[in-house]
Amino acid sequence: MTVVDTGLAAEYAAIYAYSAATVHLDGDPRWIAEELEAEHRSRRDAILDYYAEQGLQPAPPLAGYDIDPIADAAAAQDLLLAVEASVTTTWRAGVVTTEPHERELCLRMYGESAVALARWRLAVGVSAADPWPGRPE
Amino acid sequence: MFTTRRGLLVGAAVITAAGCTRETAHIITSDADLTAALRTARTLAAAADALGFGELAEDHLTHAATLERLLRPNVVADETGELPADAAALAAAESAGSEEAGDACLTTESDYAVLLGEIAACRAAHAAVLA
Repeated sequence: MTVVDTGLAAEYAAIYAYSAATVHLDGDPRWIAEELEAEHRSRRDAILDYYAEQGLQPAPPLAGYDIDPIADAAAAQDLLLAVEASVTTTWRAGVVTTEPHERELCLRMYGESAVALARWRLAVGVSAADPWPGRPE
Repeated sequence: MFTTRRGLLVGAAVITAAGCTRETAHIITSDADLTAALRTARTLAAAADALGFGELAEDHLTHAATLERLLRPNVVADETGELPADAAALAAAESAGSEEAGDACLTTESDYAVLLGEIAACRAAHAAVLA
């Protein structure tokens, strides 16, 4: 499994989580979540383009992903915060690859996911400051 | 000369300690990518602090401290140029700094690709928050 495979799997899971969580949100968090979900879908499409350019076969998304029941807006916000952190961590790990095309893609995805993480943090009232986005604690 | 195993080991230790081996001396040179990242981190920290974005300044100071530690024993002079005048200019500087670190991440032959990528991602997030 390559770092791009792992990143694609993270994006699939994020799209699934947004589909389940966004309906529980209202106001600014709702429209920001809708924007971020669209960004995940765009990122997935860009990764699929990468597979096509490289002549590789991507794995399809799973039929479902294991997430806790979402009782309310707070739970939805917490889930999406964890999702954005997880996606950022995944792409950060991909940057370590020495394959130039993979590193370029992972770096671009890492930057975009760090931006998404900062935007979601602000949306739910958490500081966006973080010197090492996605670095495991 | 070294008639016993112990004598051989002691002799080898003495020769090594005396610097009589063929070890090549290495000149410690400063990493250009880390040096550039440090200079930019200092400028962004000063600018963010001057404009009242204390948490963003803290991120840059964290980068600067890490880069200073990695560059030792080299010391990079603290020269802060003209600072961005407002939030929009700071966002542009953050974006340019992100691009600088990102380019370095892609071209570096050192072990610091992830570090440079982290700095690029952090600056990109700052730029987005400020925009």
